[in-house]
Amino acid sequence: MVLALIVLVPLLAGLMCLATRSRTAWEWLNLLAFAIVGALAIVLAANLLSHGTITGLGGFLRADALSTLVVLLIAFVALGCAIYAVGYFRREERDGRAIATQLRRYYVLTPLFVSMMLLVPLADSLGVMWVAAEATTITAVLLVTFYNQKTSFEAGWKYIIIGSVGISLALFGTVMTYYAAAKVVGHTEHGMNWSVLAGVANQFDKNAMRLAFICVLLGYGTKAGLVPMHTWKPDAYEEAPIPTAALFGAGVINCAIYGIARFDVLAEKCLGREFPGKLLIGFGLASILLSAPFILAQRNFRRILAYSSIDHAGIMVAALGFGGKLGALGATLHMLFHAVTKPLMFFCAGNVQQQFDTAYLRKIRGVVHVLPWTGGLFLMATLAVTGTPPFSIFQSEFKILSAALVAGRPWVAFAFLAGVVTIFAGFLMHMARLNLGNPQVRPGPVVASECPWKFCAMITVAAAVVMLGFWIPAPLYRLVEEATHIIGGF
Amino acid sequence: MNSPQIGSQFLTLFAAGMLVFQLLLVVQRMLLTNIRLFALQSLLLAAIAGIVAWFNKAPHVYLVAGLTLVGKVWLLPWILQRQVRRIGITQEIEPLLNPPTSMLICGALTLLGYVVARPFTSLERFGNNTLAVAITLLLTGFFLMFNRRKAVTQVLALLTVENGIMLAAVALTTYGMPLVVELGIFFDVMVAVMVLGILLYRIRESFESMDTSKLSQLKG
Repeated sequence: MVLALIVLVPLLAGLMCLATRSRTAWEWLNLLAFAIVGALAIVLAANLLSHGTITGLGGFLRADALSTLVVLLIAFVALGCAIYAVGYFRREERDGRAIATQLRRYYVLTPLFVSMMLLVPLADSLGVMWVAAEATTITAVLLVTFYNQKTSFEAGWKYIIIGSVGISLALFGTVMTYYAAAKVVGHTEHGMNWSVLAGVANQFDKNAMRLAFICVLLGYGTKAGLVPMHTWKPDAYEEAPIPTAALFGAGVINCAIYGIARFDVLAEKCLGREFPGKLLIGFGLASILLSAPFILAQRNFRRILAYSSIDHAGIMVAALGFGGKLGALGATLHMLFHAVTKPLMFFCAGNVQQQFDTAYLRKIRGVVHVLPWTGGLFLMATLAVTGTPPFSIFQSEFKILSAALVAGRPWVAFAFLAGVVTIFAGFLMHMARLNLGNPQVRPGPVVASECPWKFCAMITVAAAVVMLGFWIPAPLYRLVEEATHIIGGF
Repeated sequence: MNSPQIGSQFLTLFAAGMLVFQLLLVVQRMLLTNIRLFALQSLLLAAIAGIVAWFNKAPHVYLVAGLTLVGKVWLLPWILQRQVRRIGITQEIEPLLNPPTSMLICGALTLLGYVVARPFTSLERFGNNTLAVAITLLLTGFFLMFNRRKAVTQVLALLTVENGIMLAAVALTTYGMPLVVELGIFFDVMVAVMVLGILLYRIRESFESMDTSKLSQLKG
């Protein structure tokens, strides 16, 4: 019941937004829906920890620790974005960058988008998971083109074409997995269910599974933004409104990594560690290493965020590739920490962009002099996202590094470290100049009070970021540990 | 009429037919003809689904055949044709590679498809060339997408890729996928084409062109 509600509540809210015509109603419907989803996600987590795996709708939906963790994170990000969106879009409307019909499009499509995102981890059938993943692509296109500029259409077109190519590969991989399992599982309505497949994966047809895993990795890798399928990402992140970009950067990415992790478990059981491991490490490392120079040379901070997201997708995939207890733990923790930290980055970026009406780094200096809170939090978020201690991402990256060494891949560990450090340097250089540098032109007056909605979203997320650096609540850690068992396949 | 051998032969024949239509699509530049070629290819897919359903006594695969018939043979081509007429462009501009070169590349891709499918091909299996054709449709579909610059053709290319995957799903597993997944995929494809249609129209409005090579402002 809880499972079905988690998916249905936002869906319903989206449809209700379609029927109403007042901005306040849209805002409250969105806020209410995501608050309910948040509460339901917590209930789900509590149930799961006390009763174990939960199924719903006759086995159609299924939540184990890994799905629950992903649901929890999506709910967190969605609620944060919903709060932020209220302030953000009011300002956009006031400044004449958006009109009511555009706002309506946002408030109708976002709940649908989130609903499909939530279905990805909750669907037991790999086929339904694919359908949901494709649906996130479709529902988000018109959000990417929100601003109706030429560049938005370009970004939207790239996004849907590259996304569809990728996702069709994932479908082919899913079909091949079904075929690989057909001799063992037989043809039943449950023949695509992960819970069924995981039990018998060691008897799969090996050739078919090999082809399937390659296709799935390319497919969901496109959604996660792994190199070389990442090209849609910078454009979409630059053009989409901030709350949508944050949902991409902290929500969709987890859905994609989740999909890869599920198939990785099957592939590992069928083919052993070596084959999927090598592929995952290859794509992961390529993503980390390629995003480093692009971050260093970047002129637009929205695109920096995109490359950072490519980098983090690479880190998570590489962690899955290293495998073992440490790799699985590193990947799960990174999923958690990244999803909590990234929205703050987007929110601060959104504030800066709205204040200065540009996203070009060279046009903005000394944000702290104008927006003290945003500037300060932006710097903090930068440190947190690049994995500086005491922030939590440092811990997960450290675990992943250890996993690489334990797996006997010192060169990979070295390259990983080099990439991460370069990105840290690049990020810090850009963001320090942006936030602390001397204002070139006379800065506007200090904005006395930042918008309460945006401020509330930022402070909440920032508090979570700081908290996770020092303390992970015990139930959350148990959830992470159980998810680790699922990813590690033990 | 009930012998599986005949069924298998028809399956092989129709799958080959799908490949032929795909290759015609690669060299044909008239947009409306392209759309019709896609409809014909989908018709063959529906027929294949029908054959599979008949010989494997799998009633729900008839539904797949029906959905393909309604969706891909009738509805989508109709939507796309209307789009093309409304925009008033009938011909694809020069593709990146000329037809002979494209044909040569598609030949190579077909070969690749058969090589990749080799480990799964056995003469005993029902319709033994289908996986190879499916993979070839996938590869040539991607090629078509990169080779053409008109947005409509790119959508068509995407749909032929879809056809390839459905062919694999129907013929390879000899039973099709679970019903809910089939329905989900069908629904997704329909909505995707509508959204692409909206986007296409907007692109046309703001660029006064459907040439996707003009979408090149975003860099880095």
